[in-house]
Amino acid sequence: MLDSKNAWQPYTPSAENPWDRKKVGHLYRRAGFGATEAELAAGLTDGHAKTLDRILAGEAETEDFARTSAFMASERSMPPGAPQGRLSAWWLDRMLKTKHPLREKLTLFWHNHFATSNAKVQNARFMLAQYQLVQAHALGSFRTLLTQMGADPAMLVWLDTNTSTKGAPNENYAREVMELFSLGVGNYTETDIRQAARAFTGYEIKEGKGTLNRRQHDASEKEVFGKKGKFTGEDIAGLCLDHEACPRFIVRKFYKFLVSDTDTPGADLIDPLAEQYRKSDFDTGKLVSTILRSNLFFSPTAYRAKIKSPVEFAIGSVRALEGAVGTLPLAEALEGLGQVLFAPPSVKGWDGGEAWLNAQTLLGRNNLALAITATDNARFGTRCDPAELAAKHGAGTDAQLVDFLLGLFLQGDVPNEARTKLLDYLKATKDVKYPAYWSEDDIANHRTRAVTHLVLTLPEYQLN
Amino acid sequence: MTTRRDFLKTSSLIGFGSTVPAFLGRTALSAPRADKPGAKDTVLVVVQLTGGNDGMNTVVPFTNPDYYKLRPTIAIAKDQVKKLTDDVGFHPAMTALAKLYTDDSAVCVVQGVGYPNPSQSHFRSMDVWHAASTAETLTTGWLGQSLKKQPVPAFHLAGGNEVSPLALAGAPVRVPSITSLDDFKLKTVSVTGADATAQKNVITSAASIAGGSSGSTSLLDFVARTQMSTYASSEKLASIGKNYAPKVPYPTSALGNKLKLAAQLIDADIGARIFYVSIDGFDTHAGQGGATGAHANLLTQVSDAISAFYRDMAGRGHKDRLCVMTFSEFGRRAYENGSKGTDHGAGAPMFLVGGGVKAGVVGAHPSLKGLKEGNLVHGTDFRQVYAAVLDKWIGIDPKPILGDGFKPVEVFVK
Repeated sequence: MLDSKNAWQPYTPSAENPWDRKKVGHLYRRAGFGATEAELAAGLTDGHAKTLDRILAGEAETEDFARTSAFMASERSMPPGAPQGRLSAWWLDRMLKTKHPLREKLTLFWHNHFATSNAKVQNARFMLAQYQLVQAHALGSFRTLLTQMGADPAMLVWLDTNTSTKGAPNENYAREVMELFSLGVGNYTETDIRQAARAFTGYEIKEGKGTLNRRQHDASEKEVFGKKGKFTGEDIAGLCLDHEACPRFIVRKFYKFLVSDTDTPGADLIDPLAEQYRKSDFDTGKLVSTILRSNLFFSPTAYRAKIKSPVEFAIGSVRALEGAVGTLPLAEALEGLGQVLFAPPSVKGWDGGEAWLNAQTLLGRNNLALAITATDNARFGTRCDPAELAAKHGAGTDAQLVDFLLGLFLQGDVPNEARTKLLDYLKATKDVKYPAYWSEDDIANHRTRAVTHLVLTLPEYQLN
Repeated sequence: MTTRRDFLKTSSLIGFGSTVPAFLGRTALSAPRADKPGAKDTVLVVVQLTGGNDGMNTVVPFTNPDYYKLRPTIAIAKDQVKKLTDDVGFHPAMTALAKLYTDDSAVCVVQGVGYPNPSQSHFRSMDVWHAASTAETLTTGWLGQSLKKQPVPAFHLAGGNEVSPLALAGAPVRVPSITSLDDFKLKTVSVTGADATAQKNVITSAASIAGGSSGSTSLLDFVARTQMSTYASSEKLASIGKNYAPKVPYPTSALGNKLKLAAQLIDADIGARIFYVSIDGFDTHAGQGGATGAHANLLTQVSDAISAFYRDMAGRGHKDRLCVMTFSEFGRRAYENGSKGTDHGAGAPMFLVGGGVKAGVVGAHPSLKGLKEGNLVHGTDFRQVYAAVLDKWIGIDPKPILGDGFKPVEVFVK
């Protein structure tokens, strides 16, 4: 067990704790959406320091990616009334193709933190603007992000600030900014909320931007957390950020997101990071760097200590298969798995962890994996081709094929019995009566796709 | 925590389709309780109104002048309410439920339900209702614990975005969440039946291998257990006919669909006795509406879906087995806010619907004079309603689950 002093120190490989394929896979899953075979190999060759630097800094996006993504987000392609599916498909496409997965991953973290849903906002332009605000500060300043969120148009609609006036304030945003966005239950009173609600009066949306209308704003004195002043919404954000509970609250959320769904860290682990976060004036990039480079991150406490979100499951599978899928049908499929981007279920966001898996969503995962790897699937196209991928990496025999797939998706880290079951299955398929018109290639393709699907249904593969 | 081996021992699920968990194999009537005739094969359907339902505009105190003062724009006019007593009546959107109340005597309204020192956080308050406890850390639910005492088949009928409710946590076998029977199938890319079986065998046996690996963690065990119970449930439910013809039409709402699925599962005679469904959208901070509008639409959905469900079940002879219970995490503030909506409050009514409920209105409407920081003060603890449901309906002792001191409310005939 790591003591709290060593936990956040940078990890250095040793004989007992070497830099290996499992650690490369672990890093790529948490700091992004999983690795390709080439990325796993490069991670091993480059060593841990260089790999971490590369992942944290990200690479510049290709011109094609940037242009296409911007075009798809333009007002022409994405008018205010654009359907929900197009918004989520747009983001899924970015996750699949980005050269800086960590940034998209953290944008997803903050999207889940500020959990705003287009189901109520009903305006794709506002949702995109919030995405851009979050993405710009995903690895930057949480101070800026929280402060600007108070006047973000999507948020103004989502939590009713745009209808809150001096005469009768609405408490919705004031409550959630404390309960969910900065402090957590127990660190404020009902009076703090009612007083803060007055500070958030008078915000409105003009020409697509959030502004403060002085005539509707309650400019008189309020008292929040025992401090008095003629506070505006921005002032309340500042008071929340200055509250001692804030850095701890955010760091705990990062711990859950990057380290473990189930481990509840003590103050000895949280406080040093919270102190660093506060001192850096909420520099999220620094915080994330400390966590990802740490001993704790590369320890059993973190390894496979999370359940993949549906997005991680789907994007990770498609990336590893070096394929492409239509992201509109993918967005639709993810709904059945419990995750619709730009439409979290409530202002608390997705619960994550064990809540991702229930009977229906588990079957949904299995069946999505089947669709992605199936020979003929009109819905997703046939551009994920496990047989072609296996051939490219020289996996010819059954044993080579199984080891290649287990190495790619699970870095070989499964019980030997599971490997044997997969081999037995392949052996049994030799006796299956295939349709007479199938060529040898058809049969080989079928066997490869079937066994790829089976690998994606392994319990280990549901863990992140 | 249950280990994989414990699970295998108690559920006798090994492999695929050969055996199913004992809880799924049992039929409803196989475990009668002679001492509690009413609790033999009763069915409980919990309907969660997510977001904090405005109780005061649901069961309206229409003779109280203070009500109209507190709510100048969203109050329901006296001549529009569906009268239940001389003093209170249903929101006009609840015609169907009002009809069940007056014509069928199948509705019990418990007024002013809540708990002491209520939290106005949606999430904390919902957890309190689910766990039936106000302890700081809440990990098991009241229904999960009751399933431990009496392991009957239970189902969470979920929308795509819904997670298993805390209320069902702690059950001996994970309660399956189901969205539709059509999608509740494990599919394979198979050429022949034998190929399909071979693939399913790999999938199911991998689940039972996982827990035994040296790198086994509690999360891996969790996944493996979820897989095992899922594959068994899906095999079992595959035998249920897909073409369910309801005795009365259901409204085409998400809640209507969920209750129709409940009806199908109840009627399929697999012994299903506990169901959990929810409907979201009750967080009406702005533009709540009065007799018409956002809140009215939600109440219409609730009223129409529950009413159709009751009538369908009655048409199949199940009405005296059925109890539908509604709840929400809190009510709204007594006075309306500047956005023609209501902020988070406390104290709201619960409904029980079924052939065995004691029709009528229980308890007094919370006083509009004695507000606490603008909130209604509850007169009945929700655990008193749970106590009645556990004792008289499910047929188990409520004390180990709820603790002492929650006198059951009289909501059932027997």
